Amino acid sequence: MEASRGRKLAWYQRRFTGAPIPWLLPVIVVIGIFYLYPVFDVFRLSFTDATLIGDRNDFTLNSIINALTSPQLPGVIMATVIFVGGSIVGQQLLGLAMALVVIRGEKRRLLGTTLLRTTALVAWVVPGIAGGIVWQMLFSEAPFGGLNSLLRLMHMHGVAWLSDPNIAPWSTVISNVWRGTAFSMVVMYAALKGIDPALYEAAEVDGATTMQRLRFITLPQLRAAILVNMILITIQTVNTFDAIISLTGGGPGRATEVISLYTFNIVFRNYDLSGGSVISVLMLLISLVLALIYAMFLPKEHER
Amino acid sequence: MTPKVMARLADAASYLFMLVTLLFFAGPLLWLLSLALRDRREIYLGVSRFIPKNPTIENFISVLTNNFFPTYLWNGLKLASLSAIGVLIVALPAAYAFSRFNFRGKGLWMMGLLAFQMISPLVIMVPLYRYFSRLGLLDTHFGAIMVYIALGVPLAAWLLKGSIDSIPQSLDEAALIDGCSRFSVFWRIILPLSGPGIASVFIITVIAGWSQFLVPFLLLTKTNLMPIGVGIFAFQGMQNASSMQLLAAACLISVVPAIVVFLALQRLILGAMTSGAVKG
Repeated sequence: MEASRGRKLAWYQRRFTGAPIPWLLPVIVVIGIFYLYPVFDVFRLSFTDATLIGDRNDFTLNSIINALTSPQLPGVIMATVIFVGGSIVGQQLLGLAMALVVIRGEKRRLLGTTLLRTTALVAWVVPGIAGGIVWQMLFSEAPFGGLNSLLRLMHMHGVAWLSDPNIAPWSTVISNVWRGTAFSMVVMYAALKGIDPALYEAAEVDGATTMQRLRFITLPQLRAAILVNMILITIQTVNTFDAIISLTGGGPGRATEVISLYTFNIVFRNYDLSGGSVISVLMLLISLVLALIYAMFLPKEHER
Repeated sequence: MTPKVMARLADAASYLFMLVTLLFFAGPLLWLLSLALRDRREIYLGVSRFIPKNPTIENFISVLTNNFFPTYLWNGLKLASLSAIGVLIVALPAAYAFSRFNFRGKGLWMMGLLAFQMISPLVIMVPLYRYFSRLGLLDTHFGAIMVYIALGVPLAAWLLKGSIDSIPQSLDEAALIDGCSRFSVFWRIILPLSGPGIASVFIITVIAGWSQFLVPFLLLTKTNLMPIGVGIFAFQGMQNASSMQLLAAACLISVVPAIVVFLALQRLILGAMTSGAVKG
């Protein structure tokens, strides 16, 4: 009886383990049409002189040369680096600090711990376009601008949040940190909960101070989480488009024209499909490199 | 200092930090609410009227009776929910295969799927725009929904795999031995048992669809087809300094549904997200 049962099971397993394709077919079709083929096409288009409206489609390297030597590109890269770098640093630090305080608050039953966590998560759910509008209402230098009217109330000078090209990039960082920190907090929180309490007990026995525990136990133990977080934030921020277009529209001048906005402007404002494709390939390469780093560090998570 | 005093001091520092961060996260939304409740004159009074003297819901009524706004909301709901159903139809079989089958290169398939998630929607929209214009899919909800589905599938498949993983495999095996086909195992056992996982993925996808901007912004140019995100951006372009209270009200209306759904299902959603994040 047992033997026949086992044989039958083995037969089923043989029969079905080799046939995942029918189950994967819907995903393969959808991903193939909407991701794979477009991505190939972006590569192809970047070697042409195609425009969004015309039928020109000759192969040339000029588009690549023109796009990469464009005088606007350094400014765009700079704006993107500030936006992404500022967001990484801001979200990691604030997210870690909040996760530490939330855990401490839960342990010591401090009031408002849940409120803080929930409020941050609410900001995370706010759609990008609405987030941009909300922050515009805060940064605005018109009478309804929240921050400046608060400063005036305290008899301080207003700040040109969105009209000074040196300040505006940092304003976009603040608005992005507002939206993104909750996610970092959740990841950090989960990672902190995963640290073996025995490590802290041992440190206590050795008489380690709070700062020493943070430096020699918490941070090293969080290394994987910090890295994963960093890459996820980078990808998300490089791809951010809605929150910037409704906050600054790339201005003042081109001070906050990040790479996604730049691609959009090239393709859909200048109708330069090939030039936009070159920049798209650039964005793609950034994503790819990050994905590889992510994949490299991921197995360590499983081993733990 | 005794340890007790130290702990008290640390508590005080924690409270201070919590207060500041709470202000940072809640402040912007409270400011939005404050502006949305004001009348046209109070808009110019800034923070000193943080709590409006004569709060009014006039702005909300005015926005909701606007010619287009109800259409924007309806389109947003339609695109988000139909695409979430589509995402489940596409991602569930794949999640089942990833969870139950052992095939060569499974890890590679899954990593590849996740890698697509990292491609900016803008990158694929550049060529897709051209195809869609040739196929006559520009300015159709069908075209937009298909792209929404493609964008949602990778994460959904990962999250659903995690939820199917938690169903004991012995159930499948027992059913297979009793003569069930793989499909009826999937249909009669896996689907009913992964109800909470399916629900949370559905909600996550709906919220993501509701927040979607880039895809409909490029594909849907007719006002009567625009979902809420694009609609509110168009609305922003039509406002001036003296109608900020209307923009604030419109913005609040677009934000509240996502927040309410999230708060109601917070535990479910965070459970799915963190289990996915922890597993990779």
